[in-house]
Amino acid sequence: MSDNKKRVMIELDNVSLSYHSRKKTFDHGTHHVLNQVSMKLYEGETLGIIGRNGVGKTTLLQLMAGILAPTHGEVRVHPGKSASLLTLGLGFKPDLSGRDNALLAAMLQGATRKRAESFLNDIAEFSELGDSFNEPVKKYSAGMRSRLAFTTALLTHVDVLLIDEVLSVGDAHFRGKAQAAMANRVQGEQTVVFVSHMADQVKQMCNRVIWLDEGRIAAVGDAAEVVDAYTQYVTQARADGSLQQTNAFQQQLEAKLLADPQLQAAFKQQFEATQKAEAQQQADTKQ
Amino acid sequence: MPFSQYFRLIDVMARMALRADATRFFLGYVWWVLEPLLWVGVFYVVFVLILAAQEPDFLVFLMTGKLVFVWFSKSVTQASSSIVSSKGLVGKINVPKTLFPMAVVQEGLYRQIAVFALLFSFLLSTGHAVTSTWWYLVPVIIVTYVVIVACAFVGACLVCLARDFIQLISLGMLFLMFTSGIFWDVRSLSDPDKIAMVMAMNPLAFIVDCYRQIMMHNTPPDMLHLLTIGAGFGALLCAMVLLMRHKSQYLALRALTA
Repeated sequence: MSDNKKRVMIELDNVSLSYHSRKKTFDHGTHHVLNQVSMKLYEGETLGIIGRNGVGKTTLLQLMAGILAPTHGEVRVHPGKSASLLTLGLGFKPDLSGRDNALLAAMLQGATRKRAESFLNDIAEFSELGDSFNEPVKKYSAGMRSRLAFTTALLTHVDVLLIDEVLSVGDAHFRGKAQAAMANRVQGEQTVVFVSHMADQVKQMCNRVIWLDEGRIAAVGDAAEVVDAYTQYVTQARADGSLQQTNAFQQQLEAKLLADPQLQAAFKQQFEATQKAEAQQQADTKQ
Repeated sequence: MPFSQYFRLIDVMARMALRADATRFFLGYVWWVLEPLLWVGVFYVVFVLILAAQEPDFLVFLMTGKLVFVWFSKSVTQASSSIVSSKGLVGKINVPKTLFPMAVVQEGLYRQIAVFALLFSFLLSTGHAVTSTWWYLVPVIIVTYVVIVACAFVGACLVCLARDFIQLISLGMLFLMFTSGIFWDVRSLSDPDKIAMVMAMNPLAFIVDCYRQIMMHNTPPDMLHLLTIGAGFGALLCAMVLLMRHKSQYLALRALTA
């Protein structure tokens, strides 16, 4: 099927996003997140976005969801269509129970109270949280949080689903189950934008992939081709040591996060979870 | 977001915050009544036992002023940082930014119901009778609420622009506490022009005085003045709603990156 025949759900036209940072750590205090990005998202497709940390992947999703507005350029969403961003954590309120958080998340995404409440049993069951569902989220492990986040995300019905790394954590059992559920959803009519670090996952699930680097589109096209090119680039870059710059940026970002006591706990948990997932993936690959 | 959904969300968010607060403390909901009671205890020790205030009813005078003022100051202070402290949600869902300060204000309103109940029972126990004049409390409470919401929106926007405003707002609250006649009676100033000036310049001083006039002296408030304040802050409130709707994405960017 040709892309031209399909309806465009979201179109980004020459979109740039920059902001002034108080600390003059970036280019004269201006941080350019995205630079003249143009792209189209077609109805029913699963679009993958890959790239290193801090190249603007999440920002791209936030623009599509209408959370942020571009500094230059235009974001056009097909009239009457809603796009919703689903990501780990879902902005959990740590003092509230998993149940309350799930209810709040569903309601914030537009469900009525009754409808949101009708989701709760399904969420409790799929997330396998058991009695912990009624405990405050602050008592959850990273794995439990991600299970709750993913399940809450899965049960939301929107026209465009924007997924930010939701599948990257959790134990092997839950990851398998989550991936199957997601694949089920993706194969249907659902339009999905999927951000991930995991090359294999992107290759498996996406029709088309955008490779984002330094706020620009480095490549766009067939999933296998772009992912392979990206993997090769990362391997090459690692060998050259040209990733040092990225590491410096990452360190800055981490320092900023760690300076914020609220973010500190969340960041630490997510970091540990990602590490665990990576180790898990390595173990899986070895097998 | 439809209107009904918006208000249901505010209610749900406020109730959840109250519940979370209650589970955080050993005494839970008891704190709703215990906190204002402790205020009274502190006032009693300081003003009646130590300073031996001569004026009769001084304790009632203090409580009326302080408990109304705390409603305002706590709601506005907490609502001011509500958008930036909800960063997690702001970065994930495109919702009206007024939702966050409104949820805090609503939470404050629910708490204030308990506080007013305590205040009323205290007034009754000290020999103040409930009369038909007390009906004037309805418009006074509504105007107080409108003032709180308008200030909460302004504060929340300012803190999005620069976190530094948190410091200024808490300093501003201290300034307001001293100039609104919480610990002293504006009407006791010797110069009548000065009284008129304080009442005209500081809406909070006028509002606090309204509560006292009604509950302690059975005197209806100056309705024209009250309505002027209500209309002024109501207009500010509407302007802020429009501004925050128009600048929703900008506020999100500021909350996420500043």
